[in-house]
Order: sequence, then structure tokens, then C-alpha cells
Amino acid sequence: MGIINLAPKVLDPIPGGKYVVNAIDYVVNWARANSIWPLTYGTSCCAIEMMSSSMARYDIARFGSEVFRASPRQADLFILAGTITRRMAPAIQMLWEQIPGPKYAIAMGACTISGGPFIYDNYAVVRGAQNLIPVDVFVPGCPPRPEALFHGLLTLREKILKETCRKPWHEGLPKDVSTMDRYREAAKTWAALEEMKDEEMAEARAKFKEEHPDYKSSYKPIRIKKEDFPEVERKPFRRVGLTQLELYQKLTAKFPNITFHTHSEEPVETVLANAPADRPLEVMVEPEDYLAAVEFVKNDPEFKMDFLIDVTAIDYDDHFDLVTQLRSIEVGHKIFLCVQLKKDFSIPEEKRPTSLLASVPTISHLYPAAEIKEREVYDMFGIDFAGHPDQRRIFLDKDFVGYPLRKDFSHPEMIRRPL
Amino acid sequence: MSQPLFSKLPPGFRIQRETNTEEFFINMGPQHPSTHGALRLTLRMDGETIVELVPHFGYIHRGMEKQAESMSYLQYIALSDRQDYLTAIQNNLGVVIALEKGMNVGVPERGEYIRVMLQELGRIASHLVFYGCFGGDLGGQTCLLFGFKEREMIHDILEEVTGSRLTTNFFRPGGSRYDVPDTFIPRVKAFLDHLEGAMRDYERFLSKNIIVLERSIGIGVLTKEDAIAYGCSGPVLRASGVEFDVRRANPYSIYDQFDFDIPVFHNGDCYDRYKIRIAEIHESMKILRQCIDKFPKEGPWRSKEKPVRLPVGRYYSEIETAKGLYATYVVAATTGEKPYRIHTRGPSFPHIAALNKMVQGHKISDLVTIMATLDPVIPEIDR
Amino acid sequence: MFVPSVTNPVGDFVREWVPKLAEFLPASLQSDTLNSVVAFLVNALICVVAVCAVNIGSAPILIYMERKVCAHVQCRLGPMRLGWHGTIQTIADVIKMLFKEVYAPSGADKLMFYMAPLIVLIAPFIVCALIPFSRDLVVADVSMGIPMIIAVNGFGVLGILLGGWSSNNKYSLLGALRSGAQMISYEISFAMILLFVVMISGSTNLMSITLGQEGTIFDWWIFKIPVLGFIAFILFFISSTAEMNRAPFDIAEAEQELTGGYHTEYNGTPFAMFYLAEYIALITNSALATTCFLGGFLPPCIGITAIDNVLNMVPGVVWFFAKVYFMIWCYMMVRWTFVRPRVDQLMDFEWKFLLPVNLVLLVVGAAYITIGG
Repeated sequence: MGIINLAPKVLDPIPGGKYVVNAIDYVVNWARANSIWPLTYGTSCCAIEMMSSSMARYDIARFGSEVFRASPRQADLFILAGTITRRMAPAIQMLWEQIPGPKYAIAMGACTISGGPFIYDNYAVVRGAQNLIPVDVFVPGCPPRPEALFHGLLTLREKILKETCRKPWHEGLPKDVSTMDRYREAAKTWAALEEMKDEEMAEARAKFKEEHPDYKSSYKPIRIKKEDFPEVERKPFRRVGLTQLELYQKLTAKFPNITFHTHSEEPVETVLANAPADRPLEVMVEPEDYLAAVEFVKNDPEFKMDFLIDVTAIDYDDHFDLVTQLRSIEVGHKIFLCVQLKKDFSIPEEKRPTSLLASVPTISHLYPAAEIKEREVYDMFGIDFAGHPDQRRIFLDKDFVGYPLRKDFSHPEMIRRPL
Repeated sequence: MSQPLFSKLPPGFRIQRETNTEEFFINMGPQHPSTHGALRLTLRMDGETIVELVPHFGYIHRGMEKQAESMSYLQYIALSDRQDYLTAIQNNLGVVIALEKGMNVGVPERGEYIRVMLQELGRIASHLVFYGCFGGDLGGQTCLLFGFKEREMIHDILEEVTGSRLTTNFFRPGGSRYDVPDTFIPRVKAFLDHLEGAMRDYERFLSKNIIVLERSIGIGVLTKEDAIAYGCSGPVLRASGVEFDVRRANPYSIYDQFDFDIPVFHNGDCYDRYKIRIAEIHESMKILRQCIDKFPKEGPWRSKEKPVRLPVGRYYSEIETAKGLYATYVVAATTGEKPYRIHTRGPSFPHIAALNKMVQGHKISDLVTIMATLDPVIPEIDR
Repeated sequence: MFVPSVTNPVGDFVREWVPKLAEFLPASLQSDTLNSVVAFLVNALICVVAVCAVNIGSAPILIYMERKVCAHVQCRLGPMRLGWHGTIQTIADVIKMLFKEVYAPSGADKLMFYMAPLIVLIAPFIVCALIPFSRDLVVADVSMGIPMIIAVNGFGVLGILLGGWSSNNKYSLLGALRSGAQMISYEISFAMILLFVVMISGSTNLMSITLGQEGTIFDWWIFKIPVLGFIAFILFFISSTAEMNRAPFDIAEAEQELTGGYHTEYNGTPFAMFYLAEYIALITNSALATTCFLGGFLPPCIGITAIDNVLNMVPGVVWFFAKVYFMIWCYMMVRWTFVRPRVDQLMDFEWKFLLPVNLVLLVVGAAYITIGG
């Protein structure tokens, strides 16, 4: 690669030449180990701790590493701060390839080591950075403290000091073993070790009993006195605007098909009148009425629902519940319109996971905020929004198969959480 | 007359216009120093002027909502830390309030005070990061370090109370995990006294700097109507002249017992969004001082521990985090320890959706300023 | 016959010794012409080495100084581990950069890509050759010093434009174009202020500009003409900061916007050369400011004979570098204090404020000289 990699070939055969090579090694390694410039890269929580480490309190500059380069071509060190998602993975590999050698990588945080908190039931997270690029140092923690990052940096420094130009720096291919396999191997070894330890302990105990037949332990476990806490009644938060009952009555006057779902036998009015003040009114709207209802509550002077909190959905066996959460900034009350969308079972069963199962008119022309929210619902549930101006996947790649938040979703990379 | 780009516009771009110049596209992110994480923006440029912008999300989509379906309610509190990691302690409260509504448990007075104090400390911490990033993105690297300097003191307090610097995972239905130590109140007091002086310096550093004024006044104006229509909340909405703060509109916890103002500015530009956060730091300090005076020295700090099982129903909570309206929607289809679905509404998502509206016709440098004043946290958008 | 010559005292020393050494050569090779040519070549070599030593030797010191100043402004410590207070940190950086992989991105114009950093380095080196470091320590004592500086300074922008264009990257191109527009605009006010200095000193030779400030501290051009001199100095400070692409006028790099601007695609040694050029330009600009406004190598005499005698005992080089480093410190403090203006605001500032003020300054200065002095 470089001129110094030729040095051993030329100098080693010459008598005394290897001392020169050793000297070159020493100087170059000293320089490389002490001037590690990281790349400005961070995705989530660990990035903030990485930033903290370069700030006044911790000051990564003491080790000469404060020169965070925004361009990968000028960096030496790739600190993988934060979860690596499947969508980000190609970008990370590209960044790694753009860093000129010799280059080093520190995997910071549990997510980059194994997937961390996102290891189970997850379709989006790459379980471990070592599946993408060769990693030199792993720094555990969620997120690791800045001191831990410094320890990682100094460990890397020691590693660099041991390098030699006789065996030049090279890029290794990531191993083909997935993280989970490695984890399972480790778990097996661990279990075997535990078994061995148990056997040894049992032996030792038996031996001790033989030697001291009338030994009695004087050990008494100390119990921390458990504090007794009183039961406290919950006080509902203050309500602003119309009560749930008023809202319900005004809505049903306009749309008689609107219903309120109760879990009790009592009439709706009594339930609503007794509902806690801070529970928003959630009514069921027929799909045909949906657009009209939204338009009505938006423009009606008594409702004035001008603020869209969210549009989300819930997947049940045979239908989706599309929940549109609206709020009035001026008056203060909230109303949740819930539309039951029957799944389209005319689609053959094998095609169902990959096809749109229900359709509903869009409300993005009424609320611009709904545009991205509806894209999210489309992405996650596969609900079609008729008339949506830009219906694309938002969080997942456009070639992603399936709709993750459906209950029957499955993904080859997903690992079920053990019970 | 160059070829119109209409037929070959990439997805997401909508503006149809005739130009005499050659437009080009720039890709910003997912690794870019000023996109605040893994956000990708594609810019349609006419020289240095931005014609249109399309945000691409999902580079840090971690499938939290899918994962939550197989988790218990308590485990989800830990996941909520990792959404908006700058206000982790506030996200905890948002989830916990939804659970409390389902379990119907209350919190004793001391517990409520602990909650409010940690909330406000978290708000100050987040706004200090905003201060740093705002200055830093304008080119003043020194601001970045100044913002983080005082934040470390908050982290010291949080670490003492919760055991963790960033991902606190602290609140539980009925109170919190632990009581606060005796040193908590004196430390907060000392911190407030320190911050008072520090804020004076920091404001002098940026608020009247002529270059900052030139670069932020009249830049990225979001009108009142647009702000509401795009679902903006928090400081971004209030900078546009809408007085909406959940702490005042639907006061959760014991926010109705404190005397504080909701700062409102009316221009909706970058400078107002900056000023409003500085004003909010002062309001938070006001609340904290009142908390210190009224903090109950004795008494239970949490209610009786109960298993976290929610009856069938749908529970909704909303709180005001430093970024804006943070809502949690919990669906329990069966009575048990596991949710059927949990959905989180993060405040940054609508802000980025409104970004296109704000940057049109501005320069690429202004995009950086506007992004900084929106103060987005990408993992909270992507979840 | 024209025989090129280099000024005292090293030049005289070489000229004296080359004929003496030539006597040992065979008689057929001895001639006066050959002697003077050899003497010239030896002198030229010494000059080149001296310029390189001053420039390249100062760059690591400046980088270290920048990192320390930055750290202390930001309540940090800065490099602490290598050597006493991290003094040899930059040496490690330089060695590392030299041994890093070098490659050009695909689609780049390779020749231009690798030539650009060299071109950037030309301008500060030539300017450095014109600066008088002491009473008899100047590489090229040309009579048209100031016009030469104005002419040569444009080279820097050429290198940056080439580098940005040849990288085949939109960020680089944007950075390069910004930098081109900025440097060409600020060149004008930069030249104007130098002309102001020429006008008040009555010479374009840098040595005579310096010697014109002989006397007390109040004879320096910054103080000699009341108020006007100081205004000119401030304007020079601003426009030279913009000339050097340094923060707050670093819109060409603008890490937060363009991830590094024109040098986004550079790595290893070429990047190190850009980095070096930035700091060498810092030295030459500070040296220019020192020469034109702060009395160059002259000691800051205050008019009291006893103190002045002590001050005069210190060699001029020391005074010169003390002033240069003070100027550099000022540049650094400005860099770490201010935020960056937008590109159009920067242009507005130059064309709508700086240039008119400069013109007014020239007129007022001329009036002052005609009427008052």
C-alpha cells in the first residue's frame, strides 16, 4: 500500500536493516497511536455521550483526538455510536470504505456489540457491527460513559503500538458467523462451565461435611425492612373545553352512526358522565362517515379541532382500527375518531402479508400533518389511503417485504423473545 | 433554456417550475455533521438557494413499537429512554402517566415533587444542548462546549438520583424507583445559583451578536396557521405565537400548583425559536426554585406497589417535553402485563415535516440554522 | 554583465567565500562569471531553505497553538499527553498524515486534484520571501513589494477552485465557488488597504515601509495618522481574515454546512498540505500586518531613552516574531469567538460596506497627507 510496507522487504535482508525497520515501526506506530482523528458519526444515544466526551468536562483533546472530521477521507477512527439499522448498514460500509487506511473502528454501546436492547422481536436492527465491518475495540454500556470510551481509545492505542510494517495493515472480511450463533456458542460454554463449577462445589461441600460433621452455620440473612407505602387515590388532571358527554351528544346529533364502545352494561351517557376528566373521548366512526366527520369537527365552531395529534392504527384479527387523534388548541378538548376497517379477505391467503388489506380516504388535505402520519401507517400496517399525494414507505426500504406492525408479520431475521 | 426536470423529478419533489438555470440535487446525510443524527435530506438547489427539500426517515428505525408488543409495560419504560435521549426522564413520565391512568394509582406529594423537579432539570438539559447546537451549527464551536458544560452538572444530579447519566429509566407507576438522596435539594440549589450566572454569560454570547441576529431574524418563518396545521408543538409552536403548553392546557402531575409563565413569541423565525428556549430555561428555573421551597421533607415518595396490569381499554397520556407534545397511546386488549400495542407520538416528527415549508427560498446555510432551531432528535422520529 | 545578487549579510558572506574556495579548483574552471553564478545559486538555496524553514517550521507550532488557544477558550485543556502539555502532538499528527493512504475519488481529474494543494502553497511562500524579518534579513528586497503581494495572493484562490472542481463532489464544488467569490471580492479591499499604506509611507518597498516607522511606537502606521491608521488596521484585519478563509469567514469550509468544503475529498498528504497552507497563510498575513502597521522588526520604543536602549538591544527578529505571534493570537481569538455569516451576507459586507469605507479612507488619507503632512 504505502512506501513503508516496502521497507521490510528491502531492509530486512541487509545486515542491521531490521533495526531500521524496527525504528520505523516505532516512530510510525507512535504517531498513529497518538493521533487518532475520529469521524463525526452518530445515530442515537451513544452519539450524545461521544459528544460529551469531547466537551469541557471529559475533553478527548487530551489524547489528541478532538479533531472530529466530518469527511471520512480525513478520519482514522470510526466510532460506531448508536444502533445500526438495516437501512443504515450500507451507508456504514460505504463510510468505512471511504476512510483511508490505516483505519480503526470502535463499536460503542450495547447496540453495536450485539443489538443490545433491540435483540429480540426486531426486524430492523443489525445485531452487532462486526457483521458489517471489522471492529477493533468494543466498548460496552448503554450508553457507555465517556470514561469508558476513553478506555476504549487507550486500548486501541495499545493495539496500534503492537503493529508492525512487516505485517501491513489490511482489511479483513467480516466473519460469516452471525452474532446470535456466536452468542449461543458462548452461552453453551458458559453453561458447561457453570455445571463444572456446581460439581466442584458439591464435592467440596461433601468433603467439608466429612471433615466437620457437627458444623453449624451461624449465618443469618439480613433483611432490609420493606417500606410500607400508602395507597394513593389518583386525581384526574384538569379538563379544558367541552366534557366528553357534550362532545358525544353533539357528534351523534350530526352523525347518528357514531357509537361509543363501552365495556359495561350501563347506558353510554352514564359511562361518559362518570369517565375520568382526563380520558379523551374515543368514538367509533363508520368508514363512510370518516372524512365528513373529520371535516365537521375541524370546521365546526364548537369543536374547532385544528390540531392533529396523530394518526395511528391497531391490528386485530379481522379488522384494523384507524385512530385519528384530534385536539383543539383554542378550546382545549380532545377527540379520538376510531374507524374500523374490515380486512379484505378476498385476497388469497398467501398474498395477504404483502398486500394492502384495507382502504380509507386520506385527510392530508385537511391536516398537512396527516401526510407523514398516514405514510407511517401505510408503511407499518399496509393500509391504503385513497387520494394521498405521496404514498411511499417512510421508515423502511422500498423493497422491504411485509408490514411489520401487523400481528402476523414475520421476518427471517426476527428472533422471538424467550419466555 | 434548460430542460425542465418535471418528468424525472425524484419521488417526493412536487414543485413544478420553469427555470433558466440548471437545478441540481444535493444529498445531505445520513452522515452529515448538522443533521443531528441519521436523517437524510435531499435538496433541490438552484445555485445556493433551496427550491425544495425532501426528508428521508428511517435510518434509525429500530422497530420499538413492534418490540413493545412482546414486552411488559415496565420494560417499555426502558425503551422510551432511547427515543428522545436528550429528555429521557421526560419520556419516562409520559409512559408512566398512561400506565397510571390504566392502573388507577396516584402519586403521593413527595413523589410528585420529585417528578416535577426531574422534569424541569431534563428540560434545562435539553435546552442547553439546543443552545450548544444552535451556536455550533452557526459556526461558533465554542457555544457547543459552553452548552454542554452546564449540562454535565445536571447529569451529575441525575446520576446521583437515578444511577444513570442519560438513559434514566426512573419513574414507575405510583412514583419512582428510588427516593431522592438528602443531597438532592442542596445540589439543585447550587446548580441553579450557578446556572443563573452562566445563562447571563451565554445570552451575552449569542443573543445580541450581530452575526447571529443577521442569520436568524426572518429566517425560516413558520406562520401561526402553518405551525398548527403541520402539528408542531412545544417551543416551535409557541415561537409562532400560539400559547399552547400541556403544562398549562392540561396540567399533569402538579404543574397547576406552580407559578410560571408560558413564553410566547410571535415572529416564528429562528431567532424567536432561540429566544423562547432561553426564556423557558428561566421559567424552569423559576419552577425549580418553587419546588425547593415547597419540597416535603417527610412523607411517602411512592404509593403502594402493585403489579403493573392494565385492564382492557385504551389509555392516552400527553406531556410537554422540552421538544413539545409527547403522547403515549397504550392499547390493552386483554388484562395483563403485556400491551397489545403502544404508540408514541414524538414532537420532532411534525417539525421535520414542516421543514420543507420553512427552507424554501433560503440558502443552504439557513437550512442548517433552521434545523438547529427545530432541535430534532431523530431516534424519536423513527422510533 | 548582469549578475543576480542576494542582499546582506549572508549573501556577502557567500560571495566572499565562493572565490576563495574556487582557488582550489583547477585553473581552467576559474572565472569570475562562474563564481558569481555559483554564489548566486548557493544564496538562492539558502533563501529557499530559510523560507521553507520559517513557514513549515512554524506551521506545527501554530497548529499546536491553535489547539491550545481553542481549548482554553472553551474551558478545556487541549492536548496533554504527548510531551510537556502535548507539545509534540502535532509532530505525531504530521507523521501520521504522511504515512496515510492517498487516493483520489473516482471521476476526479487526477492531475488537477494533486496539483491543487501545491498551487495553494505557492502564494504564502512567495509573500514570505518579500517580508523583511530584520534590518538586513530579507530574502528578496524588491522595490515593487506591495504590488507583487497583491499579484501573488490571487494564486491561493486558484488552487482552491481547482481542488474543489477536480474533486467531482458537489459539496467541494460549492465550497470552491464560495471561496472563489469570497477571495476575489476581499482581494479588492485587501489591495486597497495596502495601497493606503503605500500612500502614507510613500514607498512600495516593504523594507522602506518598515523603516519609515522608525522612532517611537507612535510612529507606527497604525498610530501615526490619527484614527485613520487604526481604522485601516481593523479593515486589514477583517479582509485578511476573509482572504485566509478563516472563521468567522470560513464559509468555504463550513464544516456544519459543507462537511469541509473544497477539501472534503482530500486525504493524507494532500489534505495535510491544505491544512499547512492555511497556517502558512496565517503567518504571512500576520507578518504583513506587522510590517505594514505594527512597525515590523522595530522595537516598541516609547520615547524614554533608558527604556528604549534596553528595547533596542533585543534583535529585530525577536520583535518581529513577537508581533507576528500576537497577531496570530488575535486571529485565533476571533476564530473561536464569532459565528459564521452567510455567504450572501459576506458578499454584502464586502461590496456594500468594506469597499466604500476603503475608498473613503483613501480619499481622506490623501487629504490628510496633502494638508497636514
